[in-house]
Amino acid sequence: MKVGVPKGLLYYKYHPFICSFLNELGAEIITSEDTNKSILDQGVKYCTDEACLPIKIFHGHVAAIKDKCDVMIIPRIMQLKKREFICPKFCGLPEMIMNSIPDMPDVIGSPIYAYSEEKLFQWVNEVGHKITKSNTKIQKAFTNALKEYNNFNCGIKNENFKFNVALVGHPYNIYDSFSNMNIIKKLNTLGIGVVTEEYVEGECIDNEIKKLFKKPFWSFARNSYGFSTYLIDNKKINGIIYISSFACGIDSVVIELIKDRIGEFPFLILKIDEHTGEAGIDTRIEAFQDMLERRMKL
Amino acid sequence: MIVTFPHLGNTYIAVKALFDALEINYVIPPLGNKKALELGSLYSPEEICLPFKIMIGNYLQSIEKGADTIIIVGSTGPCRFGEYCELQMNILKKLGYKLEFIVIDSPNDIGKDEFLRRISRISSDSNKGLYGKLKAVKNALKIISIIDNIESKAHHLAGFEVNKGECKNLLHSCKKDLARCINIEEMFYISKQYEEKLKKVKIDKNKNPLKIAIMGEIYTILEPFSNLYIEDKLMEYGVSTKRGLTPSWWVKNTVLSTLNLNSLDIKKASKKYLPLYIGGHAKECIGEAVIAQKEGYDGAIQIFPMGCMPEIVSKSILPSISKDKNFPIMTLVVDEMTGEAGYVTRIEAFIDLLERRKKEHVLSRG
Repeated sequence: MKVGVPKGLLYYKYHPFICSFLNELGAEIITSEDTNKSILDQGVKYCTDEACLPIKIFHGHVAAIKDKCDVMIIPRIMQLKKREFICPKFCGLPEMIMNSIPDMPDVIGSPIYAYSEEKLFQWVNEVGHKITKSNTKIQKAFTNALKEYNNFNCGIKNENFKFNVALVGHPYNIYDSFSNMNIIKKLNTLGIGVVTEEYVEGECIDNEIKKLFKKPFWSFARNSYGFSTYLIDNKKINGIIYISSFACGIDSVVIELIKDRIGEFPFLILKIDEHTGEAGIDTRIEAFQDMLERRMKL
Repeated sequence: MIVTFPHLGNTYIAVKALFDALEINYVIPPLGNKKALELGSLYSPEEICLPFKIMIGNYLQSIEKGADTIIIVGSTGPCRFGEYCELQMNILKKLGYKLEFIVIDSPNDIGKDEFLRRISRISSDSNKGLYGKLKAVKNALKIISIIDNIESKAHHLAGFEVNKGECKNLLHSCKKDLARCINIEEMFYISKQYEEKLKKVKIDKNKNPLKIAIMGEIYTILEPFSNLYIEDKLMEYGVSTKRGLTPSWWVKNTVLSTLNLNSLDIKKASKKYLPLYIGGHAKECIGEAVIAQKEGYDGAIQIFPMGCMPEIVSKSILPSISKDKNFPIMTLVVDEMTGEAGYVTRIEAFIDLLERRKKEHVLSRG
């Protein structure tokens, strides 16, 4: 059986899990190519105008593989932690896709609650039963997939650079080098090393969150806020670069929360959308680097 | 302590009734106005949604009139509204105001004790006994459902009225008179009078007006200023409108949701298109579109502020409903830059379309 896994949104974080699971069950995995211009164009064509860039790109990935697979997995990630949510668009993702893209194959769009292994297994079990009838096989594949996932770290931590900045943002904005125009490479050539949120312990993030009046209810918000403020307080970085998609509801809140907390600390917000021009991004990160240089001389 | 609160449609009348009865000092922010929006947009983050900006404007105008305590309800997502309180506190603090924020969050999240502490922070300011307080709450809930009722009747009758503008004028003067009342008994008396007046509005039963349902993000459909008074405009055009979401609906829904018995009709209607709750009122929006079509409405208008996350999901589902049921649905996105001329043109074009469709229907029936 050919199972389609679109290479968008949280694929970058969870692909070892899902791919290892499907592989072990003997399914053939069909993934789309890395994001490119034609995928973006397809996404813009199908998706509703008001949606943000990552959602549009996801639509493009779905459109690219919809005719090649028998069944497609569209992850409806509801919760990763108890009492925390992901963006509402994730919760309604299968509906967005099904109603915007014609001639879709069978879709697995059941909700994923990943705050405990038992809860996650409910979803895994459902997917597994589409491929095999054997419960033991599913159980075993699940255990191995979890192991695979736990050994995997998609985070980035550059060493031996003149400057270090925290690269903050939703995982799909950071790891999709097409939508962020290869920012990590660009920064590295300018002598700036980056560190991502995977390299900060959950405990440190929790401590930072406690300083807020209200605990943020989005996992993204919690990570981005805790990660950047922790690094600043511990003087581990020279600046923050926040990659944010245009009209992102969560970022509009998190960015303000971070700004309120950090005062004069260097903070660059890069907004990306389907029109982003590369020259503009280059100019802005070069200017940011100049500023870091000047601050160092002071 | 002088309390203030952000506007949300007609809720200010109920809150006024409540605070009058409790004898708590309060300031009602001036009704939706351009100045509030300008102030709000000036001090709010650029990418936050429109309700946030108008609310900041409300606070600032109330502070001018002496308010020092702000009451706001919270929520725990996944819609942005739940994060409003923290950002708004920061903004007002930076502007140099010393204010107290009382955030009414769900007891499940902040704990029962904290919840009761916050409630008592408000109620301790009142000299009334427990019985008096409960009675005040009960009466406030009663008056809001009465106003909602009068409003929905007026919106419905506007399509049938003989003297153009009668319903609209009645509704407006009703709200004005209610806001002037000094106690709840007077409110009940006046609302009774207006109910009678509405019954006496001359109507033409043979008329077959256009019927439009309004749905979408709750703030922008309830707060007339934020949607550029769309319901008044439709009344002027002689269109009958219906809006499912009202403050009294919200109260009922919140109470019943603890038992999972809330809005059963919406759950049933939206099941096919959006089976899960995804935050905000996206499911309600979908359910109401389906129900409106079933009830024989001619079309529907969805309104939401730019960037509203849950409504973007429903916006991508609505075209399917429109196609499946042959039911025109228009989406209007509002923000602080919305120009009135373009907005009105779209509404007029939509009405033209519905009228043409209606004529064709009549002809095809022979």
